[in-house]
Amino acid sequence: MSSAAEARYRIDAPNSAPRAIKVIALDPRSERVVKNLAQGRWNRATFFTASAFGSAPKQGESFSGWLSDLAGRTKNLIEEIDSADLVVMVATAGENAQAASLIGEACSLKRVMTTGLIMGSTDVSDETLSKTLAQLRPWALMLVIASAEEYIQDMLTALRA
Amino acid sequence: MLRKEQNDLLTQTGPGTPMGQMFRLGWQPALLAEELPEPECPPVRIKLLSERLLAWRDTQGRYALTDEFCAHRGVSLWFGRNEHNGLRCPYHGWKYDHTGQCIEVPSEPSESGYCQKVKLKSYPLVERGGVLWTYMGPPEQQPPLPEWEFAMVPADRSFMSKRLQESNWLQAMEGGIDSSHVSFLHSGELNSDPLFKGSKGNQYNMGDMKPVFEVVESPGGLFIGARRNAENGSYYWRVTQWVMPAFTMIPPRADHPVHGHFWVPIDDETCWAWSFDYKVTRPLKEYELEAMRAGKGIHVPYVPGTYRPLQNKDNDYLMDRAAQKRGDTFSGVYGIAMQDASLQESMGPIVDRTKENLVSTDNGIIMARHRLLRALKAMEKGTMPPGIDLAHQRVRSAAVVLPPDQHFKEAAKEALLVQTGKEHVTV
Repeated sequence: MSSAAEARYRIDAPNSAPRAIKVIALDPRSERVVKNLAQGRWNRATFFTASAFGSAPKQGESFSGWLSDLAGRTKNLIEEIDSADLVVMVATAGENAQAASLIGEACSLKRVMTTGLIMGSTDVSDETLSKTLAQLRPWALMLVIASAEEYIQDMLTALRA
Repeated sequence: MLRKEQNDLLTQTGPGTPMGQMFRLGWQPALLAEELPEPECPPVRIKLLSERLLAWRDTQGRYALTDEFCAHRGVSLWFGRNEHNGLRCPYHGWKYDHTGQCIEVPSEPSESGYCQKVKLKSYPLVERGGVLWTYMGPPEQQPPLPEWEFAMVPADRSFMSKRLQESNWLQAMEGGIDSSHVSFLHSGELNSDPLFKGSKGNQYNMGDMKPVFEVVESPGGLFIGARRNAENGSYYWRVTQWVMPAFTMIPPRADHPVHGHFWVPIDDETCWAWSFDYKVTRPLKEYELEAMRAGKGIHVPYVPGTYRPLQNKDNDYLMDRAAQKRGDTFSGVYGIAMQDASLQESMGPIVDRTKENLVSTDNGIIMARHRLLRALKAMEKGTMPPGIDLAHQRVRSAAVVLPPDQHFKEAAKEALLVQTGKEHVTV
Protein backbone atom coordinates (compact mmCIF):
# COMPACT_ATOMS: atom_id res chain seq x y z
CA MET A 1 0.00 0.00 0.00
CA SER A 2 2.87 2.34 0.67
CA SER A 3 3.83 2.67 -2.98
CA ALA A 4 1.79 4.50 -5.58
CA ALA A 5 1.52 1.26 -7.54
CA GLU A 6 0.12 -0.61 -4.55
CA ALA A 7 -2.26 2.22 -3.65
CA ARG A 8 -4.07 1.58 -6.92
CA TYR A 9 -5.27 -1.75 -5.52
CA ARG A 10 -7.23 -0.19 -2.67
CA ILE A 11 -10.74 -1.59 -2.98
CA ASP A 12 -12.97 0.84 -4.76
CA ALA A 13 -16.27 0.26 -3.01
CA PRO A 14 -18.40 2.45 -0.74
CA ASN A 15 -17.14 2.17 2.83
CA SER A 16 -19.84 4.08 4.68
CA ALA A 17 -23.49 4.99 4.62
CA PRO A 18 -24.48 8.65 4.65
CA ARG A 19 -24.96 10.06 8.11
CA ALA A 20 -28.02 12.02 9.12
CA ILE A 21 -26.80 15.52 9.90
CA LYS A 22 -29.19 18.10 11.29
CA VAL A 23 -28.13 21.70 10.87
CA ILE A 24 -29.88 24.14 13.18
CA ALA A 25 -29.65 27.93 12.98
CA LEU A 26 -29.73 29.55 16.40
CA ASP A 27 -30.41 33.16 15.41
CA PRO A 28 -31.93 35.11 12.50
CA ARG A 29 -28.59 35.87 10.80
CA SER A 30 -27.58 32.24 10.95
CA GLU A 31 -30.97 31.30 9.62
CA ARG A 32 -30.26 33.24 6.43
CA VAL A 33 -27.01 31.34 6.00
CA VAL A 34 -28.66 28.01 6.66
CA LYS A 35 -31.44 28.80 4.21
CA ASN A 36 -28.88 29.45 1.48
CA LEU A 37 -27.11 26.27 2.39
CA ALA A 38 -30.32 24.29 2.18
CA GLN A 39 -30.57 25.13 -1.53
CA GLY A 40 -27.61 22.81 -2.24
CA ARG A 41 -27.71 19.08 -2.85
CA TRP A 42 -27.02 17.02 0.21
CA ASN A 43 -27.08 13.34 1.03
CA ARG A 44 -28.80 13.29 4.39
CA ALA A 45 -28.44 16.79 5.73
CA THR A 46 -31.60 18.56 6.86
CA PHE A 47 -31.91 22.14 7.95
CA PHE A 48 -33.82 23.77 10.78
CA THR A 49 -34.10 26.93 12.76
CA ALA A 50 -34.54 27.60 16.43
CA SER A 51 -34.08 31.30 15.97
CA ALA A 52 -37.65 32.22 16.74
CA PHE A 53 -37.37 30.73 20.19
CA GLY A 54 -35.41 32.98 22.45
CA SER A 55 -35.64 30.85 25.54
CA ALA A 56 -36.05 27.25 26.48
CA PRO A 57 -39.49 25.85 27.29
CA LYS A 58 -40.46 26.27 30.88
CA GLN A 59 -40.95 23.28 33.06
CA GLY A 60 -43.92 21.28 31.92
CA GLU A 61 -44.02 22.91 28.48
CA SER A 62 -43.59 20.73 25.42
CA PHE A 63 -40.52 20.66 23.21
CA SER A 64 -42.74 19.93 20.26
CA GLY A 65 -43.26 23.49 19.07
CA TRP A 66 -39.75 24.58 19.68
CA LEU A 67 -37.98 23.74 16.47
CA SER A 68 -39.11 24.49 12.92
CA ASP A 69 -37.94 23.61 9.48
CA LEU A 70 -37.06 26.34 7.05
CA ALA A 71 -40.58 26.49 5.68
CA GLY A 72 -41.81 27.32 9.16
CA ARG A 73 -43.33 23.93 9.94
CA THR A 74 -43.07 22.98 13.58
CA LYS A 75 -40.82 20.03 14.35
CA ASN A 76 -40.38 17.97 17.45
CA LEU A 77 -36.89 18.56 18.75
CA ILE A 78 -36.49 15.22 20.48
CA GLU A 79 -37.71 13.27 17.48
CA GLU A 80 -35.37 15.12 15.14
CA ILE A 81 -32.41 14.60 17.39
CA ASP A 82 -33.26 11.00 17.93
CA SER A 83 -32.83 10.38 14.23
CA ALA A 84 -29.58 12.37 13.90
CA ASP A 85 -25.97 11.16 13.78
CA LEU A 86 -24.64 14.67 14.19
CA VAL A 87 -26.21 17.98 15.10
CA VAL A 88 -24.55 21.17 13.86
CA MET A 89 -25.59 24.35 15.64
CA VAL A 90 -24.90 27.52 13.70
CA ALA A 91 -24.61 30.78 15.62
CA THR A 92 -23.60 34.33 14.81
CA ALA A 93 -21.06 35.97 17.08
CA GLY A 94 -22.81 38.53 19.23
CA GLU A 95 -26.29 37.09 18.74
CA ASN A 96 -28.28 35.18 21.28
CA ALA A 97 -27.36 31.49 21.19
CA GLN A 98 -29.42 30.50 24.18
CA ALA A 99 -31.17 27.80 22.17
CA ALA A 100 -27.91 25.86 22.24
CA SER A 101 -28.55 24.73 25.78
CA LEU A 102 -31.83 23.03 24.96
CA ILE A 103 -30.53 21.40 21.79
CA GLY A 104 -27.35 20.39 23.55
CA GLU A 105 -29.24 18.89 26.43
CA ALA A 106 -31.41 16.89 24.07
CA CYS A 107 -28.30 15.68 22.21
CA SER A 108 -26.69 14.74 25.46
CA LEU A 109 -29.78 12.79 26.43
CA LYS A 110 -29.83 10.96 23.10
CA ARG A 111 -26.02 10.58 22.93
CA VAL A 112 -25.76 12.50 19.68
CA MET A 113 -22.53 14.28 18.71
CA THR A 114 -22.75 18.07 18.53
CA THR A 115 -20.74 20.65 16.64
CA GLY A 116 -21.05 24.38 17.20
CA LEU A 117 -20.14 26.77 14.45
CA ILE A 118 -19.80 30.48 15.15
CA MET A 119 -19.67 32.86 12.23
CA GLY A 120 -19.01 36.56 11.97
CA SER A 121 -16.27 36.51 14.58
CA THR A 122 -14.30 39.22 12.79
CA ASP A 123 -17.18 41.69 13.13
CA VAL A 124 -17.30 41.67 16.91
CA SER A 125 -14.98 42.20 19.87
CA ASP A 126 -13.34 39.27 21.65
CA GLU A 127 -15.56 40.00 24.62
CA THR A 128 -18.72 39.71 22.55
CA LEU A 129 -17.43 36.56 20.91
CA SER A 130 -16.72 35.11 24.34
CA LYS A 131 -20.35 35.57 25.33
CA THR A 132 -21.56 33.57 22.34
CA LEU A 133 -18.90 30.99 23.00
CA ALA A 134 -19.95 30.68 26.61
CA GLN A 135 -23.48 29.83 25.46
CA LEU A 136 -22.30 27.14 23.07
CA ARG A 137 -19.27 25.69 24.83
CA PRO A 138 -21.06 23.49 27.36
CA TRP A 139 -23.11 21.90 24.60
CA ALA A 140 -20.76 21.53 21.65
CA LEU A 141 -18.23 18.72 21.58
CA MET A 142 -16.50 20.54 18.74
CA LEU A 143 -16.55 24.30 18.35
CA VAL A 144 -15.38 26.14 15.27
CA ILE A 145 -15.06 29.87 14.90
CA ALA A 146 -15.04 30.66 11.21
CA SER A 147 -14.54 33.96 9.44
CA ALA A 148 -16.09 32.88 6.14
CA GLU A 149 -19.64 31.66 5.73
CA GLU A 150 -18.48 29.22 3.07
CA TYR A 151 -16.82 27.22 5.78
CA ILE A 152 -20.05 25.56 6.80
CA GLN A 153 -20.58 24.29 3.27
CA ASP A 154 -17.02 22.97 3.12
CA MET A 155 -17.45 21.34 6.51
CA LEU A 156 -20.70 19.61 5.57
CA THR A 157 -19.18 18.43 2.29
CA ALA A 158 -16.15 17.10 4.15
CA LEU A 159 -18.49 15.21 6.47
CA ARG A 160 -20.39 13.78 3.50
CA ALA A 161 -23.56 15.48 4.70
CA MET B 1 -13.62 14.06 2.19
CA LEU B 2 -12.25 16.16 -0.61
CA ARG B 3 -13.15 15.97 -4.26
CA LYS B 4 -10.39 14.55 -6.43
CA GLU B 5 -9.62 17.90 -8.04
CA GLN B 6 -9.32 19.53 -4.60
CA ASN B 7 -7.04 16.74 -3.42
CA ASP B 8 -4.88 17.17 -6.50
CA LEU B 9 -4.77 20.91 -5.98
CA LEU B 10 -3.53 20.63 -2.41
CA THR B 11 -1.10 17.76 -2.89
CA GLN B 12 0.70 18.79 -6.08
CA THR B 13 3.57 21.18 -5.45
CA GLY B 14 5.77 20.95 -8.53
CA PRO B 15 6.67 23.96 -10.70
CA GLY B 16 3.62 25.70 -12.11
CA THR B 17 1.14 24.26 -9.61
CA PRO B 18 -0.87 26.62 -7.36
CA MET B 19 0.15 24.85 -4.16
CA GLY B 20 3.74 24.80 -5.37
CA GLN B 21 3.48 28.53 -5.87
CA MET B 22 2.29 28.99 -2.31
CA PHE B 23 5.34 27.13 -0.98
CA ARG B 24 7.59 29.07 -3.35
CA LEU B 25 6.40 32.44 -2.02
CA GLY B 26 7.93 31.75 1.39
CA TRP B 27 11.31 30.68 2.77
CA GLN B 28 11.51 26.92 3.21
CA PRO B 29 14.00 24.85 5.20
CA ALA B 30 16.21 23.15 2.61
CA LEU B 31 19.11 21.54 4.48
CA LEU B 32 20.62 21.36 7.92
CA ALA B 33 23.66 23.62 8.19
CA GLU B 34 25.63 20.54 9.27
CA GLU B 35 25.19 19.12 5.75
CA LEU B 36 27.47 21.81 4.31
CA PRO B 37 29.91 22.23 7.17
CA GLU B 38 32.81 24.06 5.50
CA PRO B 39 34.06 25.75 2.31
CA GLU B 40 34.57 23.34 -0.61
CA CYS B 41 32.86 20.52 1.27
CA PRO B 42 31.18 17.82 -0.83
CA PRO B 43 28.02 19.05 -2.54
CA VAL B 44 24.64 17.64 -1.52
CA ARG B 45 21.89 16.54 -3.92
CA ILE B 46 18.48 17.61 -2.78
CA LYS B 47 15.05 17.65 -4.30
CA LEU B 48 12.56 20.30 -3.20
CA LEU B 49 9.09 20.97 -4.58
CA SER B 50 9.86 18.45 -7.35
CA GLU B 51 13.02 20.28 -8.48
CA ARG B 52 16.39 18.52 -8.39
CA LEU B 53 19.00 20.82 -6.93
CA LEU B 54 22.57 20.79 -5.76
CA ALA B 55 23.60 22.52 -2.54
CA TRP B 56 27.25 23.42 -2.09
CA ARG B 57 29.70 25.94 -0.61
CA ASP B 58 32.43 27.60 -2.60
CA THR B 59 36.00 28.35 -1.53
CA GLN B 60 34.88 31.47 0.32
CA GLY B 61 32.21 29.51 2.17
CA ARG B 62 29.33 31.07 0.22
CA TYR B 63 26.25 28.88 0.02
CA ALA B 64 24.91 27.84 -3.37
CA LEU B 65 21.70 26.12 -4.38
CA THR B 66 21.72 25.47 -8.11
CA ASP B 67 20.21 23.24 -10.76
CA GLU B 68 21.77 19.80 -10.23
CA PHE B 69 22.64 19.29 -13.87
CA CYS B 70 25.33 20.75 -16.10
CA ALA B 71 23.92 22.91 -18.87
CA HIS B 72 26.20 21.19 -21.39
CA ARG B 73 25.20 17.51 -21.53
CA GLY B 74 23.06 17.17 -18.43
CA VAL B 75 25.61 15.49 -16.16
CA SER B 76 24.87 15.64 -12.44
CA LEU B 77 27.17 18.23 -10.96
CA TRP B 78 27.22 16.19 -7.76
CA PHE B 79 30.22 14.56 -9.44
CA GLY B 80 31.78 18.00 -9.85
CA ARG B 81 35.06 19.29 -8.51
CA ASN B 82 34.50 21.99 -5.90
CA GLU B 83 37.52 24.19 -6.51
CA HIS B 84 38.63 27.83 -6.69
CA ASN B 85 35.26 29.48 -6.10
CA GLY B 86 33.30 27.30 -8.40
CA LEU B 87 31.98 23.85 -9.18
CA ARG B 88 33.51 22.23 -12.24
CA CYS B 89 31.77 19.54 -14.22
CA PRO B 90 34.15 16.60 -14.45
CA TYR B 91 32.94 15.66 -17.94
CA HIS B 92 34.19 18.59 -20.04
CA GLY B 93 35.28 21.08 -17.43
CA TRP B 94 32.46 23.60 -17.51
CA LYS B 95 32.61 25.61 -14.30
CA TYR B 96 29.87 27.48 -12.38
CA ASP B 97 29.97 30.01 -9.56
CA HIS B 98 27.69 30.06 -6.49
CA THR B 99 24.97 31.95 -8.37
CA GLY B 100 24.87 29.29 -11.10
CA GLN B 101 26.65 31.54 -13.58
CA CYS B 102 28.92 29.60 -15.89
CA ILE B 103 32.40 31.07 -15.60
CA GLU B 104 34.43 28.70 -17.78
CA VAL B 105 33.79 26.65 -20.91
CA PRO B 106 37.25 25.29 -21.61
CA SER B 107 36.48 24.21 -25.18
CA GLU B 108 35.54 27.76 -26.19
CA PRO B 109 37.95 30.68 -26.52
CA SER B 110 37.60 32.72 -23.36
CA GLU B 111 37.45 35.85 -25.52
CA SER B 112 34.21 34.58 -27.06
CA GLY B 113 32.37 35.22 -23.79
CA TYR B 114 30.28 32.14 -24.46
CA CYS B 115 30.23 31.14 -20.80
CA GLN B 116 28.39 34.33 -19.91
CA LYS B 117 25.47 33.05 -21.93
CA VAL B 118 25.11 29.99 -19.72
CA LYS B 119 23.52 30.21 -16.29
CA LEU B 120 21.98 27.51 -14.17
CA LYS B 121 18.78 28.20 -12.27
CA SER B 122 19.74 29.02 -8.71
CA TYR B 123 18.03 30.00 -5.50
CA PRO B 124 19.26 31.89 -2.43
CA LEU B 125 20.47 29.70 0.43
CA VAL B 126 20.85 31.37 3.82
CA GLU B 127 21.78 29.98 7.23
CA ARG B 128 19.59 30.84 10.21
CA GLY B 129 19.19 28.83 13.39
CA GLY B 130 21.21 25.86 12.12
CA VAL B 131 19.00 25.56 9.05
CA LEU B 132 19.74 26.52 5.46
CA TRP B 133 16.66 28.26 4.11
CA THR B 134 15.80 28.79 0.50
CA TYR B 135 13.36 30.94 -1.38
CA MET B 136 12.23 29.48 -4.72
CA GLY B 137 9.76 32.14 -5.82
CA PRO B 138 10.04 35.17 -8.08
CA PRO B 139 13.10 37.24 -6.99
CA GLU B 140 11.09 40.46 -6.97
CA GLN B 141 8.71 38.98 -4.38
CA GLN B 142 11.38 37.61 -2.03
CA PRO B 143 10.20 38.23 1.56
CA PRO B 144 12.44 39.07 4.54
CA LEU B 145 14.25 36.13 6.13
CA PRO B 146 12.05 33.95 8.34
CA GLU B 147 11.77 34.79 12.02
CA TRP B 148 10.42 31.60 13.56
CA GLU B 149 11.34 31.79 17.23
CA PHE B 150 13.29 28.53 17.31
CA ALA B 151 15.62 29.94 14.65
CA MET B 152 16.17 33.23 16.49
CA VAL B 153 17.30 31.92 19.89
CA PRO B 154 21.03 31.33 20.59
CA ALA B 155 22.36 28.14 19.03
CA ASP B 156 22.69 26.27 22.34
CA ARG B 157 18.96 26.63 23.01
CA SER B 158 17.72 24.99 19.86
CA PHE B 159 17.96 21.57 18.18
CA MET B 160 16.77 20.69 14.70
CA SER B 161 16.58 17.38 12.87
CA LYS B 162 14.98 16.23 9.67
CA ARG B 163 13.71 12.90 8.46
CA LEU B 164 12.49 11.54 5.20
CA GLN B 165 8.77 10.86 5.18
CA GLU B 166 7.53 8.67 2.36
CA SER B 167 4.18 10.38 1.90
CA ASN B 168 2.79 13.56 0.47
CA TRP B 169 3.34 16.66 2.60
CA LEU B 170 -0.37 17.21 3.31
CA GLN B 171 -1.08 13.94 5.08
CA ALA B 172 2.05 14.49 7.18
CA MET B 173 1.02 18.05 8.04
CA GLU B 174 -2.53 16.97 8.84
CA GLY B 175 -1.07 14.62 11.44
CA GLY B 176 0.55 17.65 13.04
CA ILE B 177 -2.82 19.31 13.67
CA ASP B 178 -4.78 16.17 14.50
CA SER B 179 -4.82 16.62 18.26
CA SER B 180 -7.32 13.85 18.90
CA HIS B 181 -4.88 11.01 18.13
CA VAL B 182 -2.42 11.83 20.91
CA SER B 183 -4.29 10.14 23.75
CA PHE B 184 -4.34 6.92 21.72
CA LEU B 185 -1.35 6.59 19.46
CA HIS B 186 1.20 8.26 21.73
CA SER B 187 -0.25 7.20 25.07
CA GLY B 188 2.74 4.96 25.84
CA GLU B 189 5.29 7.69 25.25
CA LEU B 190 3.62 10.39 27.35
CA ASN B 191 4.83 8.64 30.47
CA SER B 192 8.11 7.20 29.23
CA ASP B 193 9.74 9.49 26.69
CA PRO B 194 12.38 11.67 28.41
CA LEU B 195 11.23 14.70 26.42
CA PHE B 196 7.56 14.26 27.32
CA LYS B 197 7.22 12.54 30.69
CA GLY B 198 6.60 14.08 34.09
CA SER B 199 4.27 16.90 33.13
CA LYS B 200 1.11 17.70 35.04
CA GLY B 201 -0.48 18.17 31.64
CA ASN B 202 0.10 14.48 30.87
CA GLN B 203 -2.15 13.58 33.81
CA TYR B 204 -4.90 15.71 32.33
CA ASN B 205 -4.22 14.14 28.94
CA MET B 206 -4.60 10.62 30.26
CA GLY B 207 -7.36 11.48 32.70
CA ASP B 208 -9.72 12.71 30.04
CA MET B 209 -9.65 10.64 26.86
CA LYS B 210 -12.46 12.62 25.25
CA PRO B 211 -11.11 16.08 24.67
CA VAL B 212 -13.35 18.78 23.31
CA PHE B 213 -11.94 20.88 20.50
CA GLU B 214 -12.17 24.48 19.50
CA VAL B 215 -10.83 25.54 16.13
CA VAL B 216 -10.20 29.23 15.66
CA GLU B 217 -8.75 31.02 12.66
CA SER B 218 -5.58 32.98 13.33
CA PRO B 219 -3.96 35.57 11.06
CA GLY B 220 -1.43 33.02 9.82
CA GLY B 221 -3.50 29.85 9.98
CA LEU B 222 -5.24 28.22 12.91
CA PHE B 223 -5.28 27.79 16.63
CA ILE B 224 -6.47 24.31 17.50
CA GLY B 225 -7.47 24.14 21.13
CA ALA B 226 -8.01 20.80 22.83
CA ARG B 227 -9.84 21.08 26.12
CA ARG B 228 -9.76 18.54 28.90
CA ASN B 229 -11.15 18.61 32.39
CA ALA B 230 -8.85 19.85 35.14
CA GLU B 231 -9.52 20.47 38.84
CA ASN B 232 -12.50 22.33 40.27
CA GLY B 233 -14.34 22.71 37.01
CA SER B 234 -11.47 24.42 35.24
CA TYR B 235 -10.21 23.31 31.83
CA TYR B 236 -6.77 22.23 30.68
CA TRP B 237 -6.19 23.66 27.22
CA ARG B 238 -3.55 22.58 24.74
CA VAL B 239 -3.33 25.03 21.88
CA THR B 240 -1.55 23.91 18.72
CA GLN B 241 -0.41 26.45 16.15
CA TRP B 242 -0.65 25.90 12.43
CA VAL B 243 0.85 28.55 10.19
CA MET B 244 0.27 28.19 6.50
CA PRO B 245 1.20 26.22 4.66
CA ALA B 246 3.34 23.76 6.60
CA PHE B 247 4.39 24.91 10.08
CA THR B 248 2.95 23.25 13.17
CA MET B 249 3.88 23.76 16.81
CA ILE B 250 2.96 21.30 19.54
CA PRO B 251 1.84 22.66 22.92
CA PRO B 252 4.53 22.48 25.62
CA ARG B 253 4.73 20.09 28.52
CA ALA B 254 6.19 21.28 31.85
CA ASP B 255 9.75 22.58 31.41
CA HIS B 256 10.51 20.32 28.46
CA PRO B 257 11.76 21.98 25.27
CA VAL B 258 8.96 23.06 22.97
CA HIS B 259 8.72 21.30 19.66
CA GLY B 260 7.20 21.52 16.27
CA HIS B 261 7.58 20.78 12.60
CA PHE B 262 7.77 21.95 9.04
CA TRP B 263 6.41 19.56 6.41
CA VAL B 264 8.21 20.42 3.21
CA PRO B 265 7.49 18.62 -0.08
CA ILE B 266 10.39 16.86 -1.71
CA ASP B 267 8.07 15.81 -4.50
CA ASP B 268 4.40 14.82 -4.47
CA GLU B 269 5.09 11.45 -2.84
CA THR B 270 7.72 12.32 -0.23
CA CYS B 271 8.43 15.16 2.13
CA TRP B 272 10.93 16.28 4.73
CA ALA B 273 9.61 16.25 8.26
CA TRP B 274 11.66 18.95 9.95
CA SER B 275 11.55 18.70 13.74
CA PHE B 276 12.69 21.44 16.09
CA ASP B 277 13.03 21.66 19.85
CA TYR B 278 13.95 24.82 21.74
CA LYS B 279 13.93 26.76 24.97
CA VAL B 280 13.88 30.53 25.14
CA THR B 281 15.71 31.32 28.37
CA ARG B 282 18.12 28.46 28.91
CA PRO B 283 20.49 26.23 26.95
CA LEU B 284 19.22 22.75 26.23
CA LYS B 285 20.44 20.34 28.89
CA GLU B 286 22.90 17.62 28.00
CA TYR B 287 20.39 14.86 28.72
CA GLU B 288 17.86 16.59 26.48
CA LEU B 289 20.34 16.88 23.62
CA GLU B 290 21.40 13.26 24.10
CA ALA B 291 17.77 12.17 23.92
CA MET B 292 17.17 14.21 20.78
CA ARG B 293 20.29 12.86 19.07
CA ALA B 294 19.19 9.34 20.07
CA GLY B 295 15.87 9.88 18.32
CA LYS B 296 13.62 10.44 21.32
CA GLY B 297 10.74 12.89 21.47
CA ILE B 298 9.79 13.92 17.97
CA HIS B 299 13.16 12.93 16.50
CA VAL B 300 14.21 9.56 15.07
CA PRO B 301 17.24 7.31 14.83
CA TYR B 302 18.50 7.09 11.25
CA VAL B 303 19.76 4.53 8.81
CA PRO B 304 23.47 5.37 9.22
CA GLY B 305 24.71 8.01 6.80
CA THR B 306 21.20 9.09 5.78
CA TYR B 307 18.19 11.02 7.04
CA ARG B 308 15.95 8.03 6.45
CA PRO B 309 14.46 6.71 9.68
CA LEU B 310 15.89 3.42 10.92
CA GLN B 311 12.31 2.23 11.29
CA ASN B 312 10.85 2.47 7.83
CA LYS B 313 8.40 0.75 5.52
CA ASP B 314 11.02 -1.75 4.33
CA ASN B 315 11.24 -3.27 7.82
CA ASP B 316 7.60 -2.64 8.82
CA TYR B 317 8.86 0.05 11.17
CA LEU B 318 10.25 -2.71 13.45
CA MET B 319 6.70 -3.40 14.59
CA ASP B 320 6.68 -5.13 17.99
CA ARG B 321 3.41 -7.03 18.42
CA ALA B 322 4.31 -8.11 21.95
CA ALA B 323 4.85 -4.50 23.00
CA GLN B 324 1.54 -3.61 21.39
CA LYS B 325 -0.19 -6.34 23.37
CA ARG B 326 1.52 -5.36 26.60
CA GLY B 327 0.54 -1.72 26.02
CA ASP B 328 4.12 -0.41 26.01
CA THR B 329 3.17 1.28 22.78
CA PHE B 330 -0.36 1.62 21.50
CA SER B 331 0.48 0.76 17.90
CA GLY B 332 3.48 -1.52 18.38
CA VAL B 333 5.79 1.01 16.74
CA TYR B 334 8.30 2.75 18.99
CA GLY B 335 8.85 6.49 19.04
CA ILE B 336 6.41 9.34 18.62
CA ALA B 337 7.63 10.42 15.19
CA MET B 338 7.54 6.95 13.69
CA GLN B 339 4.19 6.13 15.25
CA ASP B 340 2.85 9.02 13.20
CA ALA B 341 4.92 8.41 10.08
CA SER B 342 4.21 4.68 9.92
CA LEU B 343 0.46 5.28 9.84
CA GLN B 344 0.64 8.24 7.47
CA GLU B 345 2.86 6.32 5.06
CA SER B 346 0.52 3.34 5.27
CA MET B 347 -2.18 5.48 3.63
CA GLY B 348 -0.16 5.41 0.41
CA PRO B 349 2.01 8.20 -1.00
CA ILE B 350 -0.99 10.43 -1.70
CA VAL B 351 -4.03 9.37 0.26
CA ASP B 352 -7.28 9.24 -1.69
CA ARG B 353 -9.36 11.71 0.28
CA THR B 354 -12.47 10.92 -1.72
CA LYS B 355 -12.68 7.71 0.32
CA GLU B 356 -12.25 9.11 3.81
CA ASN B 357 -14.98 9.50 6.40
CA LEU B 358 -14.18 12.49 8.53
CA VAL B 359 -15.99 13.10 11.79
CA SER B 360 -16.69 16.17 13.80
CA THR B 361 -13.39 16.05 15.69
CA ASP B 362 -11.59 16.39 12.37
CA ASN B 363 -12.67 20.02 12.05
CA GLY B 364 -9.07 21.20 12.50
CA ILE B 365 -8.13 19.29 9.37
CA ILE B 366 -11.27 20.41 7.53
CA MET B 367 -10.59 24.04 8.41
CA ALA B 368 -6.92 23.79 7.39
CA ARG B 369 -7.91 22.50 3.96
CA HIS B 370 -10.59 25.18 3.71
CA ARG B 371 -8.06 27.90 4.49
CA LEU B 372 -5.53 26.52 2.03
CA LEU B 373 -8.13 26.40 -0.72
CA ARG B 374 -9.28 29.92 0.13
CA ALA B 375 -5.72 31.20 0.09
CA LEU B 376 -5.09 29.57 -3.29
CA LYS B 377 -8.15 31.33 -4.67
CA ALA B 378 -6.99 34.65 -3.23
CA MET B 379 -3.50 34.09 -4.67
CA GLU B 380 -5.03 34.01 -8.13
CA LYS B 381 -6.07 37.61 -7.51
CA GLY B 382 -2.61 38.59 -6.31
CA THR B 383 -3.11 38.28 -2.54
CA MET B 384 -0.08 36.95 -0.67
CA PRO B 385 -0.89 33.80 1.30
CA PRO B 386 -0.77 33.85 5.11
CA GLY B 387 2.44 32.70 6.76
CA ILE B 388 4.85 34.95 4.89
CA ASP B 389 4.22 38.04 7.00
CA LEU B 390 6.78 37.95 9.82
CA ALA B 391 4.02 38.70 12.33
CA HIS B 392 2.44 35.37 11.41
CA GLN B 393 5.69 33.62 12.31
CA ARG B 394 6.05 35.16 15.77
CA VAL B 395 3.67 32.71 17.40
CA ARG B 396 3.75 30.08 20.10
CA SER B 397 1.80 27.09 21.19
CA ALA B 398 0.59 27.04 24.78
CA ALA B 399 -0.72 24.80 27.55
CA VAL B 400 -2.89 26.57 30.10
CA VAL B 401 -5.50 25.90 32.76
CA LEU B 402 -8.40 28.35 32.50
CA PRO B 403 -11.73 28.91 34.20
CA PRO B 404 -14.59 27.38 32.21
CA ASP B 405 -16.01 30.69 31.00
CA GLN B 406 -12.80 31.93 29.39
CA HIS B 407 -11.95 31.55 25.75
CA PHE B 408 -8.34 30.56 25.17
CA LYS B 409 -7.92 32.97 22.29
CA GLU B 410 -8.62 35.87 24.59
CA ALA B 411 -7.36 34.54 27.92
CA ALA B 412 -4.14 33.16 26.43
CA LYS B 413 -3.65 35.92 23.88
CA GLU B 414 -0.14 36.81 25.07
CA ALA B 415 0.82 33.18 25.52
CA LEU B 416 0.15 32.54 21.84
CA LEU B 417 2.64 35.18 20.69
CA VAL B 418 6.41 35.36 21.01
CA GLN B 419 7.31 37.08 24.28
CA THR B 420 10.95 38.08 24.13
CA GLY B 421 12.92 36.68 27.03
CA LYS B 422 9.99 34.73 28.46
CA GLU B 423 9.36 31.01 28.29
CA HIS B 424 6.25 29.43 26.83
CA VAL B 425 3.20 29.25 29.07
CA THR B 426 3.02 25.61 30.05
CA VAL B 427 1.57 23.11 32.49
